[in-house]
Amino acid sequence: MSLNDTLKNLRENGIDEAKRAQRLQELNDLRVNLLGKKGPITKALRGMKDVPAEQRPEIGTLANNVKKDIQAAIEEKMSELNQKLVAKKLEEETIDVTLPATKQTQGTKHILNQTIEDIEQFFIGLGYEVAGGYEVEEDHYNFERLNIPKDHPARDMQDTFYLSDELLMRTQTSAQEGRDMEAHDFTKGPLKMISPGVVYRRDDDDATHSHQFHQIEGLVVDKNISMADLKGTLDALCRHVFGPDREIRFRPSYFPFTEPSVEVDVSCFNCGGEGCRICKYTGWIEVLGAGLTHPNVLKMSGIDPNEYSGMAFGLGPERFAMLKYGINDIRDFYLNDVRFLEQFKGVN
Amino acid sequence: MKISVNWLKEYIPVDHTVEEMANKISLTGIESGPVKLGEELTNLVVGHITSIKSHPDSDHLKVCQVDVGESEDIQIVCGAPNVAVDQYVIVALHGAHLPNGVRIKRGKLRGQESNGMICGLDEVGVPAKYMPEEFENGIYVFDQPQKPGVEVYDLLGLKEQMIDIDITPNRADTLGMHGAAWEIGATYNEKPTFKKPELDDSKVKDLTDIDVTVDAKDLVPDYLVRELKDIKVTKSPLWMQRRLWNQNIRPVNSVVDATNYVMIEYGQPVQAYDLDKLNQSLTVKLANAGDKLNLADDVEKTLTANDLVVTSGDKILGLAGIINGPEATVDENTKNVVLEAGVFDGASVRKTAQRHDLRDDASNRFEKGVDNGIVEEALTRATQLVDQISPAQEISQTIVGNFTKAEPTVIKGSIDHINHLMGLDLSADEIVGIFDRLGFTSELNGDAVTVTIPTRRWDMGIEADLVEEVNRIYGYENLPNTLPAGMETRGGYSAKRELSNKLRDILLGEGMDEVINFSLLSKQEVADFNVNQTEYTKLLHPMTEDHEYLRNSLIPGLVRNVAYNQARKNNDLSIFEQARVFARPTGQDRPNEIPYISGAISGNVVEDSWNTEPKQVDFYYVKGIVEELLSFTNADADFTFVATDEYTNMHPGQTAKILANDQVVGFIGKLHPDYQKKHSITDTFVFELNINALFGLNTKSVKAQSAPKYPAITRDLAILVNKDIQNSQIINDIFVNGGKYLQDVNIFDVYEGKNIKQDHKSLGYHLVFLNPNDTLTDEEVEKAFSLVKDSLVQKFNVEIR
Repeated sequence: MSLNDTLKNLRENGIDEAKRAQRLQELNDLRVNLLGKKGPITKALRGMKDVPAEQRPEIGTLANNVKKDIQAAIEEKMSELNQKLVAKKLEEETIDVTLPATKQTQGTKHILNQTIEDIEQFFIGLGYEVAGGYEVEEDHYNFERLNIPKDHPARDMQDTFYLSDELLMRTQTSAQEGRDMEAHDFTKGPLKMISPGVVYRRDDDDATHSHQFHQIEGLVVDKNISMADLKGTLDALCRHVFGPDREIRFRPSYFPFTEPSVEVDVSCFNCGGEGCRICKYTGWIEVLGAGLTHPNVLKMSGIDPNEYSGMAFGLGPERFAMLKYGINDIRDFYLNDVRFLEQFKGVN
Repeated sequence: MKISVNWLKEYIPVDHTVEEMANKISLTGIESGPVKLGEELTNLVVGHITSIKSHPDSDHLKVCQVDVGESEDIQIVCGAPNVAVDQYVIVALHGAHLPNGVRIKRGKLRGQESNGMICGLDEVGVPAKYMPEEFENGIYVFDQPQKPGVEVYDLLGLKEQMIDIDITPNRADTLGMHGAAWEIGATYNEKPTFKKPELDDSKVKDLTDIDVTVDAKDLVPDYLVRELKDIKVTKSPLWMQRRLWNQNIRPVNSVVDATNYVMIEYGQPVQAYDLDKLNQSLTVKLANAGDKLNLADDVEKTLTANDLVVTSGDKILGLAGIINGPEATVDENTKNVVLEAGVFDGASVRKTAQRHDLRDDASNRFEKGVDNGIVEEALTRATQLVDQISPAQEISQTIVGNFTKAEPTVIKGSIDHINHLMGLDLSADEIVGIFDRLGFTSELNGDAVTVTIPTRRWDMGIEADLVEEVNRIYGYENLPNTLPAGMETRGGYSAKRELSNKLRDILLGEGMDEVINFSLLSKQEVADFNVNQTEYTKLLHPMTEDHEYLRNSLIPGLVRNVAYNQARKNNDLSIFEQARVFARPTGQDRPNEIPYISGAISGNVVEDSWNTEPKQVDFYYVKGIVEELLSFTNADADFTFVATDEYTNMHPGQTAKILANDQVVGFIGKLHPDYQKKHSITDTFVFELNINALFGLNTKSVKAQSAPKYPAITRDLAILVNKDIQNSQIINDIFVNGGKYLQDVNIFDVYEGKNIKQDHKSLGYHLVFLNPNDTLTDEEVEKAFSLVKDSLVQKFNVEIR
């Protein structure tokens, strides 16, 4: 058999064997056996010396091609076997993705704090500082400085937990107004603050009353504060909290520490103003009280009401949350049943 | 108060529905709602009883023939004891609708045909307690003949349309029809007109049967009376009665009804006395402490020296402006009366009424204020009404106990400033026009406006009040929406609030739910966790024993939550609260308010599931959370945990104080088993941290370093050591001797028990060495490692294993 034929035979057999291989090891063995230094191709090429010189380049090229072809066949088969192996492994690794997850928990912020912080963020964006205040407050700041002297009938509206003649559990976060106005340096610009916090009333706890609840007081004092500023601010707030399509309206009211005083209604977010159970078929829901700071309140803090004016508002996070989420019992906020708490995960 | 539309029409034209009016009044002045009485009523007519026969089969039923304006009388069977021939009565015809869904149908009563029902007032919607007493147990009978067949609604005010106004305390001026007419008139730009009451001059005499004295003049600025002699007390006319019962006032007699009518008309309470039951005198003074006042139904009130009373001789007639006893009541036998109109100090009336639990229509008006410009007119009006219904022979002049001339309030304002405060730009004419609608007179002088306020609006006093009047009548809906346009301000939280927000976020990230608890605790609860040993702070007048003291720790609240949840099978709990505790130093009245953050964890921290084994919370799990929390304080401090058995309700072997640079900032541990048992809760671990203390620590300043490029070398160390030696002692010593390249020491094994010497434990540590600037050699590490081992052997007698 000519060297030429021998090489061609080797090629044919090699490719054939590669194709028949079932395992990667067989292919590795085949490569070593056929293409290695001791393999038949190398051996066959020892017969080159008998080949006429002019044919040698041709045979050389053939030998290289034979090696290449066998190599390619082995690699092709290897890749095929590898793919099969991977496919098999993947199949073995297939899981039931509907099985429950390994639990990863983030806690849930209390819905009242979510409500409060949502409102805080709104006002921080408008340049308001968030103040703290005292929960145990002096009669002086809680009442007197808010234009509510000892015999004022408005004291009936809020029964108070007293600690002594002069100390009490604050009944309103407005108690912070006097302290903030005293502390503020008006040469550095307007006073713009909100004061969120806990307040206390001598009430029996029931579905709509709690002896402890939250309020957010807002106060702006500057040279040009008007009722229109108050309305614009609260309009923006109510849209932020209750939705961009909401409207507000002012109704005259009375608070000793504001004049004029208004109650603020928001158009019903449930029925859009048509009338429903939530808005008691009026289309409007009362959400907060507000007004222009009473000149006496400014004066008592050493502020000239002819030069400065102020606007103030007070709102109840419990009421906001109850309205927004349809909570019917104020006591739910303070029982802290985790099933109640966790339903508000991520609402704000 | 309910404003009757029919009554209102006497003063202003009304051509809107009550719904529209209530809405408009709510938006411009006073919260109001529409009231439509008797909407359901139908087929109610006047009947004239023409004959009565007894029922053949009943002792109490009667068979009546009734003229109801039809061609023939109808037969109605009636069981009322007061039914009689020739009465004019209310007949509910066949098909009539009565309140509460009652429907009248033709039928037979014990065999006798009955074509309707003869009704009592309460059966057609007048509450029993407000209808005349004489009709309490029977049918209503008209005083005067009426036309049979005519609908009864207007005669009896059964379908009255009203506006129920819910006033704020400053607007008591609308607690009378006149004031309400002014307010509603201003809303609709209608000026009300009122008739001045006039007396028959020929009857007015100088009568001096009675001496009137006011001792407490400062509390009684006005006290006026009139006498009416030789009257005959009768029933008041139907027009007056129906207005009274629709005001929830029971008609009694001509005199009492007239006084009540004037109170509704003017808002000025008026009182009537039987002159012959007085000892020729009326005196208003402060009571002596211990004086007794007898009220009807044998109620006796013991008075204090702050109670203002009306007396006659040594008889106490009543509490001024609040209530009278039966001593000098006007009844059907009264011949001579004294009418009294006074103004009593609001605060005094309020306190007395509260003290004796006697608040009513009259005291409510004095508390909130009355118009002292119309006291005399109201008295004249009451006198006129009595004289009109029960004519007197003689009427006295006004007898004055005290009189204070009412002066109108004058407010000076600036058109510009008023506009400015509203955020509007109204013309002076527009503003003055609004004052005019309200019945205020104003004088313009350039920008200055001087407004004279009638005495009926005693709530008005300053320019801000003018702003409110103009703004509300102009309409708040016409205000533009603007934002304060001052200098730029920087909004935000205080640094301390930022810290507590950050700490809360960490705990939320650790899977803890946030709770909010009450600040007021029981005495037991404040005793349970008084770890800071402060004085308790107690309410003067607590509502319940559960909420009597200010909390000195957040843990009792968290324990309440754990118990509440576990009772509902929420067993795996991880909760925290950030709030204030109240710590009162001895000798200080006011407690310090200190923000704390506290947590409680019980049950499993890894759930029992198809791919996880359950893992119960333990000390080290909670400690991990606390350490993470502390690492986020950014404090430049050494935080250490020091075992403590000082806290009564904590497990003595699983509790540690948390120290920052040797200052206690909180604690962590397991609740005492006895305490857990008392609260029916399973093993619970708690912690608390004082945010003020953490906030007070110096903050770290971070200077960035590149991550080291050279590898670390680790050596493992296993030792056998006496049980009492704490991990922190070993670690501290390792660091002391480990040299400058010792980076970290981690404990990876703690073992005691089998195969370990008694009272000993085996500990395993990884020591990590690293030179950030060069490759460490084995020799360098080995040298440091030897020093570590030698020291441990020497100091703690450890066995290196």
